[in-house]
Amino acid sequence: MGEGPVISLRDVTKVYRQGSVDIHALRDLSMEVQPGEFTVICGPSGSGKTTMLNLIGALDAATSGSIALEGRELGGLNKKELSELRRDRIGFVFQAYNLMPVLTAYENAEMVLWVQGVDAATRRERVMGLLEQVGLKGLEDRRPSELSGGQQQRVAIARAIASNPAVVLADEPTANVDSETAETLLGLMEELNREQGVTFLFSTHDPQVMERARRVVRLVDGNIASDERR
Amino acid sequence: MKILRMAWRNLWRNGRRTLVTVGAMTLALWAMVLYTSLMQGMLGSMESTLLDVELGDFQIHADGYRERPSIWERIEDPDAVLEALDKTGLRSTARLLGGALVASGEASTGALLKGLRPDRDAQVSDVYQRLDRGEWLDPADASGVVLGYRLARTLGIDVGDELIALSQATDGSMANDLFRVRGVLQSLSEETDRATVFLVEDQFRSFFALEDGAHQVIVRSGEGQTLDAAGEMAQEAIAASAPEAEVKSWRDLLPGLANMFDSAQAAVQVVAFVVYVVIAIMILNAMLMAVFERIREFGVLKAIGVSPRRVLALILTEGALQAALAIAIGLVASLPTLWFVTTRGIDVGQLGGTAIMGVSMDRIWTGAVSPATIAGPVFILLFIVGLAILFPAFKAARISPIEAIHHQ
Repeated sequence: MGEGPVISLRDVTKVYRQGSVDIHALRDLSMEVQPGEFTVICGPSGSGKTTMLNLIGALDAATSGSIALEGRELGGLNKKELSELRRDRIGFVFQAYNLMPVLTAYENAEMVLWVQGVDAATRRERVMGLLEQVGLKGLEDRRPSELSGGQQQRVAIARAIASNPAVVLADEPTANVDSETAETLLGLMEELNREQGVTFLFSTHDPQVMERARRVVRLVDGNIASDERR
Repeated sequence: MKILRMAWRNLWRNGRRTLVTVGAMTLALWAMVLYTSLMQGMLGSMESTLLDVELGDFQIHADGYRERPSIWERIEDPDAVLEALDKTGLRSTARLLGGALVASGEASTGALLKGLRPDRDAQVSDVYQRLDRGEWLDPADASGVVLGYRLARTLGIDVGDELIALSQATDGSMANDLFRVRGVLQSLSEETDRATVFLVEDQFRSFFALEDGAHQVIVRSGEGQTLDAAGEMAQEAIAASAPEAEVKSWRDLLPGLANMFDSAQAAVQVVAFVVYVVIAIMILNAMLMAVFERIREFGVLKAIGVSPRRVLALILTEGALQAALAIAIGLVASLPTLWFVTTRGIDVGQLGGTAIMGVSMDRIWTGAVSPATIAGPVFILLFIVGLAILFPAFKAARISPIEAIHHQ
């Protein structure tokens, strides 16, 4: 992890065109995320939370402004470079888990490492350790359909952190699980943040998540209404 | 390895669809292997009938005979021609040809009498083996004749019956004679079936008062010899004995049929292609459904950094696995069918004889098997499957991760 912010947004605007109408999802938004932060982006529906995560995750491009990940400007990268950046430096946790249904928990968790070309023995060592860490020891050979929602999200977390990314972007990670499971997942991510220094950036509506965050950024109409550090 | 594993497991997510797709490919492959075998068998049989029985590889005629066939237009010294050809190793036989009115009872019709020496002719033509009933010509039985089966039917005669022939002899006299039917041929060609009477050379000469000469010399090329090389050799060989005679290959004599043989293999491939296009539409539909059902998954794969190349490889592998299954099952299923058509064949005799461009098929239509029987249908299937899955594969590979992840 280098010096300076992991994520840096400067005057970022994102405009979607729907028919003849321009919709401003983000308006001149600027923000930085430092290494090791446990940050929540919250706000009402349509405030721009998911758009912001998509831009930081190099899944979409800003209409104007600049976004940098570990000092590297995303706007200057081509599709291949963006894909490699996502593979190597960004972990994703999705609301709907989005695991590959035909792969086992182990195979899902090792997916990014396999794409990176990491050898099988190293993959095995790393992934078995991670699955134990997220509480899935003994369930490695189960497919997603044989796991509960919480267990699937744990696999997704293991997949997200397997390659030691600069940041894990989690889009409403607790939206599809009950509050008890959400509490367990948040505890797990907090532990990873505290003990391994994994940087987390969440988007959420969930007060449970906001309570545990050490930084809460509230978006309203595509801009930051408040940025509270605890 | 992971792609192969994922592809294999993906196939069985919707097992019924995979089975239907593989089943359709298998059925198409089986049908095309069978069709190719039967077509090869039919063409082989027709070529054999045409060259081994009817035409030979070359024919030598007196200059002008082919334009105006006449009993007087003949090769003056056929024995010298045959001797010259014997020296080159080319097998040959001379035939005499003359038109006559043949009759039995109240029925009569025009026919072409063909005079030959049975022992010499048997080295060149297999016609003596193509008897439907009765026996082939025997020099000891001078009045015995063998005729085409339709001619026999037209005249209402069979083996042992009498046949009257009338014509004009070369000396201007009325040629007429009474013959006895020794044999009736199988269906060979339009001309032979309807209007040909074979008789021994001496009897022909006696009937037409033709002391010397021959109208046609049939030549077979040597083993492994090209038609062009054998033609040049024959032309050179007869330069001294029959300088005016023309040597024509069967391709020159029947260019339409030669073209048909040349294009038949391509025609088989075209039919295979058309059948496979129907299968391709089915594969395309199945693969598109499989891709659309998994758009979100492809989006996730792209989001976590899986390259478009790997996504493409995944879909192509799924198609390849289905094709491999279809080929394995299709070829195993083809074995008993091929065994049946090559050893037993299909009896088409009940259809009353089938002819294409005047050349008859054998009564029992048997298939033939060569590497092309299998390789052709397999390669076309692979090509078509590849073509059909390219679109869905590229669609999956080029998918935008953000749109795909939010796809409902």
